[in-house]
Amino acid sequence: MITQPATRGADSELVSASLTEPEAFAELFDRYSAMLYRYVSKRLGPEPAEDLVGETFLIAFSRRRSYDLAMPDARPWLFGILTKLISRHHRGEAARYRALLRAPVEAEVESPADRVAAGVSAQAVRAELAGALAALPAKDRDVLLLIAWGDLTYEETARALAIPIGTVRSRLNRGRRKVRAALGDANPLEEE
Amino acid sequence: MDDLKLLRDLGTAFEHEPPATLARQRERLLRARPRGGGVGRWVSWWTAGLVAAATAVAVVVPTVLIGDRHPAAPPAGTDSVDVSGAMNVLLIGSDTRQGAGNVEYGPRMADAGAHSDTIVILHVPADRGSAVAVSVPRDSIVRIPRCGSSPAREDMINSAYRTGGAGCLRTTLETLTGLTIRHTVEVDFAGFKKVVDALGGVQVTLPRPVDDRMAKLRLPAGRSMLDGEQALGYVRLRRYGAEGSDISRIKRQQELVLATLQRLRDALFDPGRLRAFLGVMHESVRTDLSPEAMYELAVGMSETKLTFMTVPWRPHPDDPNRLAWQQPDAAELFKSLE
Repeated sequence: MITQPATRGADSELVSASLTEPEAFAELFDRYSAMLYRYVSKRLGPEPAEDLVGETFLIAFSRRRSYDLAMPDARPWLFGILTKLISRHHRGEAARYRALLRAPVEAEVESPADRVAAGVSAQAVRAELAGALAALPAKDRDVLLLIAWGDLTYEETARALAIPIGTVRSRLNRGRRKVRAALGDANPLEEE
Repeated sequence: MDDLKLLRDLGTAFEHEPPATLARQRERLLRARPRGGGVGRWVSWWTAGLVAAATAVAVVVPTVLIGDRHPAAPPAGTDSVDVSGAMNVLLIGSDTRQGAGNVEYGPRMADAGAHSDTIVILHVPADRGSAVAVSVPRDSIVRIPRCGSSPAREDMINSAYRTGGAGCLRTTLETLTGLTIRHTVEVDFAGFKKVVDALGGVQVTLPRPVDDRMAKLRLPAGRSMLDGEQALGYVRLRRYGAEGSDISRIKRQQELVLATLQRLRDALFDPGRLRAFLGVMHESVRTDLSPEAMYELAVGMSETKLTFMTVPWRPHPDDPNRLAWQQPDAAELFKSLE
């Protein structure tokens, strides 16, 4: 008589279930807290990450009634909340990138596997990349990093930031142009 | 040169794995109280809410209505009515399957008497600060005392209502729980149907499509707006949901209560719909509370926090399709309500 669902249900089902059984929301935490933590740790470092992830879920929970249940995937929603929280730290974020720009980049690479995966050339340009990120306007940086570090698609990014997809494209292009310019200056050997 | 790949590599270099202490944030979430007021105030995260649509709508809805700053005018001739002090109210969602609105759902059962489909004991403490709605699963096998011509027996609790009406169910519950039940409120399924229609339908989200001939219901997966008829079919579905049992049915009812309350909040800003709703409420509810008393009670409870609970239960040792109350937990729960 008792049957288990064969596949994991959509996030929207959890949100819907949490309306009557609030503890169902904890399952969303289990699904995405690690992903969000990694994302914040890239942008702001590990110190504020734990708190920001917790805050993101508290806010999401308090707004769960306004969640659009037609959207099965809750990631854009969670990333959107998190992005707003990160924006309060944007000075810290830029300062962090600039610090990395001055510091020896190698110190950031801890394991040999990282070294291999990232490649020597990437190591050489990290300082320039970090510098370019620090110089980007916050809005362009949000778009660029949701796509590059958050693994969101254009559509998902548009949903997360509540902006039209055309705006996502233009911000992304602008951000990438600046990044490429910084790289081009630093790394002519990479040009093909 | 792929700038996005280089950026990703940079991200990998910056990335930190979540520490074990991240679990503290999960605890923080679980301790959280929902912010703000309005519909569905929860005293606790841990309330396994099993409250059924019709009855909870009957009592909670006026509460919400009046609790919101909105001009729900008191019924004419309202004088002060004494509904003060702690009290327990028995809420019954009945399934008489009689009358023009109901007979099509079970013509063969027309003579089988009324079933209490939904049984809730609403406990309201004297200070009205918080109320507890305790659902009693209708499949509970309990000791039913002698009422009228029916002898005392062990049976499903809803048979007390079928054979002896609200009075017998009340006596049975008073004996079982040790509580004094001051009032009863009954809502018929047909009434529930009208309530939903008066609100312009309710929205549900289904994980799987429904095609149930017994409940006369066919719905796609995902979001659907249900009219009264469909909402009723949805509540009655039995072969849907993981447990395929009364418990998953009760969960759906509760879902529907919240969806209904949500609709009601919208209706607050639509005077036409609100009037239709109040009219339907009035004619769909059978109770020994006068309209004035209900109004007083609702006003008194406008700031009350409501917790949904269910009688602690386990599968019945003789019949896994029936439930037995879990003791001493059940007794302790009711003792805490005295």
